[in-house]
Amino acid sequence: MANADDDAQGGAAGTHQSPSPLHQRHLDLGAKLASFGGWIMPLEYAGGGVLKEHAAVRGRVGVFDVSHLGKVTVRGPGTAAYLNTCLSNDLDRIGPGRAQYTLCVDDASGGAVDDLIAYLRSPDEVFLIPNAANTTEVCRRLTSAAPDGIDVLDEHHDHAVLAVQGPSGDELLRAVGLPTGHDYMSFVQAEHAGAPVTVCRTGYTGERGYELVTPSAAATSLWDALMTAGSDFGVLACGLGARDTLRTEMGYPLHGQDISMEISPVEARLVWAVGWSKDSFWGKEVLTAQRTAKAGPLLRGLVASGRGIARPGMSVGLPGSRASVGHVTSGTFSPTRRQGIALALLDRSVHDGDEVSVGMRGRHEAFVVTKPPFVQTGVRT
Amino acid sequence: MNPEDLKYTPEHEWLRIEGDAAVIGITDYAQEQLGDIVYVGLPAVGDTIDPGASIGELESTKSVSDLFAPVPGVVVERNESLEQNPEVVNSDPYGEGWLIKVTLSDPNAVDALLDGAAYRALISE
Repeated sequence: MANADDDAQGGAAGTHQSPSPLHQRHLDLGAKLASFGGWIMPLEYAGGGVLKEHAAVRGRVGVFDVSHLGKVTVRGPGTAAYLNTCLSNDLDRIGPGRAQYTLCVDDASGGAVDDLIAYLRSPDEVFLIPNAANTTEVCRRLTSAAPDGIDVLDEHHDHAVLAVQGPSGDELLRAVGLPTGHDYMSFVQAEHAGAPVTVCRTGYTGERGYELVTPSAAATSLWDALMTAGSDFGVLACGLGARDTLRTEMGYPLHGQDISMEISPVEARLVWAVGWSKDSFWGKEVLTAQRTAKAGPLLRGLVASGRGIARPGMSVGLPGSRASVGHVTSGTFSPTRRQGIALALLDRSVHDGDEVSVGMRGRHEAFVVTKPPFVQTGVRT
Repeated sequence: MNPEDLKYTPEHEWLRIEGDAAVIGITDYAQEQLGDIVYVGLPAVGDTIDPGASIGELESTKSVSDLFAPVPGVVVERNESLEQNPEVVNSDPYGEGWLIKVTLSDPNAVDALLDGAAYRALISE
């Protein structure tokens, strides 16, 4: 028996790896650790495992440490207006206290430097959560374009981020004295044990839930409170392995796999996160041309007809043909459906409902092109 | 952790020798490394297996691994219950989670396998 492929989520090997503020808690819980974007993070926990942790989030509640995510404050007069000329989505669509999924696009190529969440605190202050591995590059681009008076502050190590996800998440937050019930993609400022906590109705699992941003020094006390109170709700500490199966069931793209410098937001079908009517934003020209040309490949979902589990990089073809019509960008076993699910970048000739064939390890497995999400959840309710 | 009465391979498989036959599975270390196993692909009864060849696969939530033939032989039984309950390989790798049974075409091939102490030394490296 030997591993045929490595962990998909590689970090920068050989460079310094940052521990999370909750590193000791992960060790205490017997976590299997892995490198994510330069951070040492829990993949899964002893006594848990991807399937149990996944089920906890779908059925009860799970708590994730996602402190590897970037945290960037952009501050100064006209910050929101400035960011609106850079990032793809339109901050004018939301008001203060609201968050928005957006993209940092490379102006020349239309490739995605990163996808991120922008939290509009005020017209003069926006908090960004980019992906761990892309934070430095996003900060570099935003800093170099910023007018005088607007500061881009990389606060990557200053804050911890805990995600409380699942149908019992509201009860768990109330049990530790945090506010709940605000709208999807909105956030409120609160306190726990004397430390500030931003409670955001956001997440990457498809379940109703919250992401909590708190100073790194306060992370352990918040984690302990959640885990202690959570025992009444069947809480499990959940690792990034379950986070990946959960997000794949929703068809949420992962930067570096489903969206990247090579896979544009148009190809990844993220046109809803682009403010097309804005005068300008990075990549507007290239993305508009792609959108008009309707020629490039598109990201679509796949569901296995049999027992096959597609993995990133596998070639997709049509039944009975050797010609490739694309490749798998994310693929895993869906714990909820108990079958293989995947995202794949496919030629425009392929449509939802078509049968395709994924080449894996010397054989071909049938999949049906299926529009995500692959499971129905209550993320917005 | 690994039973002393079994033989082992560097590919983290175990063999229980029963006369001219061997029951084959993967070790506790292997299942721990793989994580939650969601699919087990096994050779068919009657298949001839040759050492070093891939004869099946174990798929976990995060990756897929080959099952290599540890000895030459012919498959006489396969653990059909794994089709429905692959997670048993995680929960009971040396018992209910066995994979296949083969008749040995060369009983001397067993001599090349690791004993419990040698395997323990291998995984603690």
